[in-house]
Amino acid sequence: MAASFLDRSRTVAAPGYSRWLVPPAALAIHLSIGQVYAFSVFKNPLLALHGADGSQWNLKEIGYIFSIAIAFLGLSAALFGKWLETAGPRKAMFVAACCFGLGFEVAAAGASTHQLWLIYLGYGVIGGIGLGLGYISPVSTLIKWFPDRPGLATGMAIMGFGGGAMIGSPLGTHLMAFFKGGGHAAIPGTWVTMGILYFVFMMFGVFTVRVPADDWKPAGWTPPVRHSAMISSHNVEVNTAMRTPQFYFLWLVLALNVTAGIGILEQASPMIQDLFHGQVSAVAAAGFVGVLSLFNMGGRFIWASCSDFIGRKPTYMIFFIVGAILYFLLPYTGTQHLDSVALFVLIAGLLISMYGGGFATIPAYLRDMYGPYNVSAIHGRLLTAWSVAGIVGPLIVNGILDHYIAMHMPREQAYPLILHIMAGLLVVGFFANLLVRPVAERFWMKKPPVGAMPAAH
Amino acid sequence: MTTETKHSSPSKTPASLIAAAWIIVSIPLAWGVYNTALGAAKLFTHLQTHAPAQIKPS
Repeated sequence: MAASFLDRSRTVAAPGYSRWLVPPAALAIHLSIGQVYAFSVFKNPLLALHGADGSQWNLKEIGYIFSIAIAFLGLSAALFGKWLETAGPRKAMFVAACCFGLGFEVAAAGASTHQLWLIYLGYGVIGGIGLGLGYISPVSTLIKWFPDRPGLATGMAIMGFGGGAMIGSPLGTHLMAFFKGGGHAAIPGTWVTMGILYFVFMMFGVFTVRVPADDWKPAGWTPPVRHSAMISSHNVEVNTAMRTPQFYFLWLVLALNVTAGIGILEQASPMIQDLFHGQVSAVAAAGFVGVLSLFNMGGRFIWASCSDFIGRKPTYMIFFIVGAILYFLLPYTGTQHLDSVALFVLIAGLLISMYGGGFATIPAYLRDMYGPYNVSAIHGRLLTAWSVAGIVGPLIVNGILDHYIAMHMPREQAYPLILHIMAGLLVVGFFANLLVRPVAERFWMKKPPVGAMPAAH
Repeated sequence: MTTETKHSSPSKTPASLIAAAWIIVSIPLAWGVYNTALGAAKLFTHLQTHAPAQIKPS
């Protein structure tokens, strides 16, 4: 029986295939699924929708759509990572595209019939599964194609996730204006169109991606004979990796780095307006959010690429040491102290670049620790740290702000405490990173697995 | 010098195909970055400098 076009065996690259076709394939997936971070453009139009009985949804109900999508991103990445390793990237990308596209269509049906549960099911559950599968699907393939530059390769893909929000936001806005101008309901038409567009764009990744042959290596590249202790020359299976202390230290490293970053991202617009009262308007604050998006995307590529040269552990040391210092200093840039908007923007931008860099560098860190064999599956399970940070970060920020408001204290007085807590979290992250040591020999896979590249470099 | 025939040598991916693949993903990304940069510019164009206090003649 002929193997399916989607099977791993059908995606092995023929000799002469250029590895530089794989990053565009990965980018096609990540640029699409990154749309989830632009979901806020739909909030007000959803609030304005009326049911047949005149009922309307509230902000909290609409907020759950994004939360469900992110929760299912983490769940599906953790659950399906191992399946992805055997099924191959093409099949995983195809399923991701189907789920992400179908999610929009089901959600569109929910919007046109004013049934919120259909939007939760479509955009949240089905689309969320597409997000998780899509996020991890190109990671191990890229690492196998770029054993000489794993940070650069995964940095390119995960940069796409940051860039996806930049595309999704104006695309959603323009489409809604188009449908509204044509006298149609804005949201259903926009979601139907986006579902089709993203499916087609993701198909480009599905058709382009290839896995390298087992004996393939970059031309002229030989794994260095002298090994770094922090780069394993062995592979570790995903379930075994979960039994190593390194997994939990790295989980903490990611969780704390993300929690601290969310401390700024969550409150970026009101924070700059509060700290520079009377100087920064709401329009300028929206511009500040755009500046942070650019730093977030750029940081993903730049920091992950740098980690190929300075090492993964030192890269996170920079995030934690420099990050802690900058978080500590950030509140002193406000009108009460230095009164420098430029310095505030520069520091916040650097901090967000390190937040993005943390996401983009972690796959290469995992590859260094556990080898390339199960790196997507291990990465998928580590992404639960993202889900936890997504809850804890806003809880800290909003909890402290609510307390200050309840005590009738000015909001700007809450920021030093919030930002110094974030600095403290990064100090804890520094120690977690410090404790990451090479994986003990007893956890290594005994037989060289089929499909695994030589891990050492 | 090698004397491999065309049949035995692997066919290399044409550079034009690689360029086309990168263009396909770069165009939407560039459009997104452009739109974001336009929005980001508002931070610098909408900053309000401290207005000097008006001194009323006594």
